[in-house]
Amino acid sequence: MASKTNRAVMEPETERASHSPDLLLGLYRMLVKCRMCDEKARILFRQGKYKGNFYSGVGQEAAEVGTAYTLRKGDWIAPSHRDWTANIIKGAPLKYCFAQLFAKTTSPDRGRSSPAHMGFPELHVITPASSIAGQLNVGTGVALGIKKLHQDSVVVAYCGDGATSFGGFHEACNFAGVHRLPIIYVVQNNLWAESVPLRLQTALTNLSDRAKAYGFPGYPLDGNDVLAVYDAAQTAIARARAGEGPTLLECKTYRWYGHSEIDPAKYRVKEEVEQWKKRDPVATFEKKLMDRKLLSEESKKEIVAETTKEINEAVEFADQSPYPDGSELWDNIWA
Amino acid sequence: MARTLTMIQAINEALSQEMTRDDRVFILGEDIGLSGGVFKVTDGLLDKFGEDRVLDTPLAEGIIIAAAIGASMMGLRPVPEIQFADFITPAVEQIIQQASKLRYRSAGGYSCPITIRICCGAGGGSGLYHSQENASWFVHEPGLKVVMPSTAYDAKGLLASAIRDPNPVLFFEHKSLYRQAKGDVPEDDYTVPIGPAAVRREGRDLTILTYGYMTPMSLDAADQMSKRGTDAEVVELRTLAPLDKETILKSVRKTNKVLIVHEDKKTMGLGAEVSAIISEEAFEDLDGPILRVTGPDVPAIPFSPNLDKAWQVDTSKIIAGIEKLAAY
Repeated sequence: MASKTNRAVMEPETERASHSPDLLLGLYRMLVKCRMCDEKARILFRQGKYKGNFYSGVGQEAAEVGTAYTLRKGDWIAPSHRDWTANIIKGAPLKYCFAQLFAKTTSPDRGRSSPAHMGFPELHVITPASSIAGQLNVGTGVALGIKKLHQDSVVVAYCGDGATSFGGFHEACNFAGVHRLPIIYVVQNNLWAESVPLRLQTALTNLSDRAKAYGFPGYPLDGNDVLAVYDAAQTAIARARAGEGPTLLECKTYRWYGHSEIDPAKYRVKEEVEQWKKRDPVATFEKKLMDRKLLSEESKKEIVAETTKEINEAVEFADQSPYPDGSELWDNIWA
Repeated sequence: MARTLTMIQAINEALSQEMTRDDRVFILGEDIGLSGGVFKVTDGLLDKFGEDRVLDTPLAEGIIIAAAIGASMMGLRPVPEIQFADFITPAVEQIIQQASKLRYRSAGGYSCPITIRICCGAGGGSGLYHSQENASWFVHEPGLKVVMPSTAYDAKGLLASAIRDPNPVLFFEHKSLYRQAKGDVPEDDYTVPIGPAAVRREGRDLTILTYGYMTPMSLDAADQMSKRGTDAEVVELRTLAPLDKETILKSVRKTNKVLIVHEDKKTMGLGAEVSAIISEEAFEDLDGPILRVTGPDVPAIPFSPNLDKAWQVDTSKIIAGIEKLAAY
């Protein structure tokens, strides 16, 4: 289990029949979309288009796309502060995602939560608190509700490596194990919890080992390999839908930038960052598709152009949307 | 038809009737199933409703509340129990960061209709960690409703209201009232609305504002003082958040003197807030200072009998407060 290949997925060497060209291109398009939206969000912050902060997930796209891409409308996502793009993968229109950053009335929460703390109730994305691991606990409760209502939906709950140290992580996993709840815990292990390195976070090599203590499977994955993540997620989702209980997926990955846009991340050495950038989850997958002639420079350009257009329209929409009036302060305290 | 029930029986009946009325209602907590609860409040419910709706949980208050919050987002109506108010601290994260803010932070996109039952208060020399009455912690957090009944009738009716309420409600049950508060309770289900305070005793000379176990104590003190010529009105708040300002101010304007009585500590207790409201909105109506008789500002109730006795807020302390106020 402690292998350094980080590829504990079943049949890793053989291409799965389920990897149709449509799926592969769909995953690629989503990777590009997440990358471009995230980079745009960073630029907009630097331009002073919105205040607060942004927690970029650039570098971690394969972990997000691989786990959330095939979720159904009825499925749930419990995101953390770094999972703004989870809304995009779940299908939230981009205009609402950018309106969220801008804290406008057109954002799903009418400008209540800070920029990256986005939820989308219509598509079952839980609006996150800033409390670390809180989304795992509430997400576990949603999974309990799914089980009680005999639905076949699942919950995908995201957290980083830092959250696994928090007591709430243990309580959530333990409870989900006891009740065999339909939930997949996705730990995006990016080696740094803000500025604290993994070696000071845990004595474990693989955070996925924690799953053993809760009586369900855990897998260490190459979190930059979208197909490795996708395959493991498919197995985990199928297991959850079948009522067989939770799975912990540890996606070993890396955030390219600081904890947030105001963090220059000087605590990391340049070589480490450069090394991980060479393992860019978008570029490596792109090369794979080009090698297989599924993607050309031309079709790539088309995808980028389409996405750029969509983003520009979304930003324009967010820009034009009004801020909520101060009188909304008193709305929605109680039902 | 009404029968005489204890508060324990009344709460048990409310849970049973709500679970029968609405199959979205389920209960969860430590020792609530097989053992029927430390105080037998949930006795018999496991047999009646089965494991699917009566969950004995792991010993972890945080996930008890979080599981309830998440399930409520699915449209269910969970009623989690915190065995002792002293042990609510691991769940405070979930109550304050999640339950109280979920609706607000999603602009109404998500609701959190949960009812947290919490056993609280001094009684039987239970010591530092089985005696705390900390309801006021949660009164400070908009988004939560906080309720504490003192009669069996109200316990049943308020609990039914809480379970049917679309908001998170903290339902505090005082352990000294569990068996002591006996009274007529109708067999049929009914509700007592969350919000309104109750005037428990009409009086001319001064108003006692109180809640929980201090309600029967204050009524006892008022009865004793009426024989000595001071006629106190006793108003039981019942709902601590949101407060029934109208009933409070009406009584203050009638008697012009206010004594606030609670078991919780004095500093930043509910009395401080009630006192501020009165001074803001009825200052001209006051004929004397607003006085407080409260639990002492010590960290918790010590165990040894003399220390426990020294801590207690009893009738004699309330009488002393009435006498002091009446002198103005």
